Amino acid sequence: MNSFTLSMVLICCGGLAALFLWRQFLLMKAVAVGFIGIGCAVGLTDALTKLLHQGSYAVSLKYLNLFSLSFQIDGLSAFFLVSIFLVSLLAAVYSFHYLNDSQKALRTAVSYLFFALLIASMALVVTAANLITFMLAWEIMSLSSFFLVIYDYESADNRKAGYLYFVFSHVGAMFILAAFGIFYGNTGSFMFADGNTMPDSAKLTILILTFIGFGSKAGVFPFHVWLPHAHPAAPSHISAVMSGVMIKTGIYGIVRLYASLGLHTPLFGEIVLVAGMISGILGVVYALGQHDIKRLLAYHSVENIGIILIGIGIGMLGVSFGNPIMAVLGFAGGLLHVLNHSIFKSLLFMGAGVVIQKTGTRTIDMLGGLLKNMKITGITFLVGSLAISGLPPFNGFVSEFFIYLGGFRGAALDRTAFVLSIMAIVSLAIIGGLALACFTKVVGVVFQGEPRRPDVTAGDEKGPAMLLPMLVLAGLCFIIGVFPRMFIYLALNAIPVSGLGYGRIPMEPFMQITANITLAATVFFVILAGVVALRLVFYKDKTIGSAGTWGCGFTQPTPKMQYTGTSYAASILEFFRPAAPLEEDHPAISGRFPIKTHYHSHVHDIAERHMVHVVVNPVLWLFDRLRWIQHGDIHLYIGYILLAIVVLLFFI
Amino acid sequence: MIKSLMFWVLAIFLAPFFSALILKVKAFFGGKKGPPLLINYYTLVKLFKKGSVYSTSTTFVFKLGPMVSLSSAVTVLLFLPLAGQAPVFSFNGDLLFILYLLGLGRFFTIAAAMDTASPFEGMGAAREAYFPIICEATLFMILILFYVLTGELRLAAYFTGSQPFGLWQMAGSPMLFVVIALFIILLAENSRVPVDDPATHLELTMIHEVMVLDHSGPDFGFIELGSFCKLFFYASIIAQLIMPFESGYLALNLCLFTAGLVVVYLAVGIMESVMARYRMDRVPKFLLTSFALAFFATVITLEFIK
Repeated sequence: MNSFTLSMVLICCGGLAALFLWRQFLLMKAVAVGFIGIGCAVGLTDALTKLLHQGSYAVSLKYLNLFSLSFQIDGLSAFFLVSIFLVSLLAAVYSFHYLNDSQKALRTAVSYLFFALLIASMALVVTAANLITFMLAWEIMSLSSFFLVIYDYESADNRKAGYLYFVFSHVGAMFILAAFGIFYGNTGSFMFADGNTMPDSAKLTILILTFIGFGSKAGVFPFHVWLPHAHPAAPSHISAVMSGVMIKTGIYGIVRLYASLGLHTPLFGEIVLVAGMISGILGVVYALGQHDIKRLLAYHSVENIGIILIGIGIGMLGVSFGNPIMAVLGFAGGLLHVLNHSIFKSLLFMGAGVVIQKTGTRTIDMLGGLLKNMKITGITFLVGSLAISGLPPFNGFVSEFFIYLGGFRGAALDRTAFVLSIMAIVSLAIIGGLALACFTKVVGVVFQGEPRRPDVTAGDEKGPAMLLPMLVLAGLCFIIGVFPRMFIYLALNAIPVSGLGYGRIPMEPFMQITANITLAATVFFVILAGVVALRLVFYKDKTIGSAGTWGCGFTQPTPKMQYTGTSYAASILEFFRPAAPLEEDHPAISGRFPIKTHYHSHVHDIAERHMVHVVVNPVLWLFDRLRWIQHGDIHLYIGYILLAIVVLLFFI
Repeated sequence: MIKSLMFWVLAIFLAPFFSALILKVKAFFGGKKGPPLLINYYTLVKLFKKGSVYSTSTTFVFKLGPMVSLSSAVTVLLFLPLAGQAPVFSFNGDLLFILYLLGLGRFFTIAAAMDTASPFEGMGAAREAYFPIICEATLFMILILFYVLTGELRLAAYFTGSQPFGLWQMAGSPMLFVVIALFIILLAENSRVPVDDPATHLELTMIHEVMVLDHSGPDFGFIELGSFCKLFFYASIIAQLIMPFESGYLALNLCLFTAGLVVVYLAVGIMESVMARYRMDRVPKFLLTSFALAFFATVITLEFIK
């Protein structure tokens, strides 16, 4: 048995074992986490070895005597496997102390089963070598994650979120299926590798259809509507896995199809790039307007998917315009951002999970001052925030740096590439600024200042199984940010298989870029160390006083007076009002003895708002008209089936 | 290398001096004598000698804020060419690093302000998070223009050798737009009038000053020094753009560069003396002007002139 199969078996065993052991709560968790963790670790080492040695591995077996299930691990698959196994491993460890309600033992056991299935199916999605295998794994992935989303099914909101996710993932799957139908119709083969024999028009149709399908999984605007509902509903380690890696399978699908079809028209690159810019900017604008910490993080996934798409779009344009350096920079940046985002986003979701578990609320404006009691959570969350804002010396900066360099290459090209590159660069700059604003809001309001409600205070920070994964992830953010060499090497190894026809990519110029990043980060640290030393000198033997915050002359400050996240984001949201309409509910204060008033605000997502009018209502109307087909008479249903077969026989 | 390092040290030490020029100009317009030109050094020494009082609401982030913002401003100066002299460090894409490093400094300044639980500081922080977004878009627009003209993404490539003059030759009059746009960015990023008023005493109207209300002693000294360095960074970029001559002699270059710097600082001072601060909701429009200027400069240069 090779190590990939071994890891799949171990992971599934962990899920099944949980079902049998559910009566012993702690044992069940230990066994499930142990098996899943070891399985992921085996898979992770295997994927890393394959990626480093550029090994390729394929296996094929028969299924139902008709279709062959075939799997192949090449550089691109191995790269995605690395982030899947890494995040799943840490999420499994995290879940040991996170799922601590022994009243829900059976439910926890079931959730481990689906968790194991989710990990295995994600791994199978990125290793599938033909359409049937891919679709099968894709469906298992969608369904298992659906059951994980409705873990807390008692709440009506969660059920609605699950339903929304179910609908979106299956409508998306229909688009993918339709595209695969065209694929098979043109090539007569289910293998991805046979994709480039089709006529160009069929290729373009397939790319666009799959872009919609994969986009709805990845959370590309305007197909992202399910994300901000599903992520808050799911348990935090599931959100970490879903947002960190599961939505990336959509990105994998886009890149895989692009590579196997080999259609290098600029049009598709332009579509990807523009979709990326819109998702990136609107994702972070909506994130700024959220009051629920997990919804906010979910919108940041939309933003980061946007950044990844900008990178990949720049890469595709580089291919179309025959500029290999731009292509490699774009793809390398986009792929590295896949890994980076999976690291810092799962870190942030885990941090949010700790906050929610200890305080019992997800509302940002009710929290405050958590950093004092929750040091590890606070510091790791701060690291994650710096990384997601793309600031040096953390990992988000590295991938954005590569994407920028690719974009600048494009700016020097002819007119179309120039216009698109300008837009990409400026959107990246705006996204960076907005992300900084958004995460200073989260860190500032949730972790700093004073607790806003006396009843919502931070408890202690227990649960080493929850803290350890966050420390590991924060460490990774830092290591990739300062020493990106190895990780860029991994990303570069993932590119050649995507069939760009450049053969072997020269590593030297790209390694030089990473060396520059390391140099710059080192210089910064040396200077920071100097400043710290200077500060120690200045504060030697000084009197350090302690007092309340200066209230500008006001002597009776209360924590209620603090700036809230809502007020912090208000002026930026005002600027983006056309794209993010703000609804406020605030009865005016009037009279000499004013009654108690309240303030409630909600930022509308225009995609969600228009979806009802543009899609849902017409579809409902149409199906209402077609209701006569569904009459409940079994004879006629059999008649339908016969008719369908006859018609199909007639046509084929 | 040694020479560049000396220039860097000199830049840090001279930055407070130039900022005092602004005070002098304002005093002149007010018909006053004004503080001595070395006032900022006196202030820094005074602050470094003091102890500190910390708010009970704050955490370690509050102490980290001044250190990170000073380090980022000082690090940025390492990449800055001065008077035609090559900077200490320079690599392809260092400008991206510079802009994002200044972002890191901003992140920690904001985080330190939010740490105090003060509503005023929160207000300043929200504005500090908002306005630089537009500034960054403008800076990247200018970067695109420079990149397409020179094919380089290094700060040193724009301001050493034949370059600042070459830029004017290639772009011509649209470079004026760039200079104005950069000047607007300078005013916004360094919290000068008409975006922010460093001298005001009404906390509600401030941005940067209100964010550092609770800092005291050496911590506050670090913040002050950091902001002098940051202003010096932007000012010397504009100075080298408006004095784009390379004489070949270090002394003459230094004179030209200093003259450019004095012009920029005087312009800031005059601006502060003759203008009032904009209402807060006007500021984004003011900043968008800079973006429009940079955008037009790029489009005009690349479409019609190049």
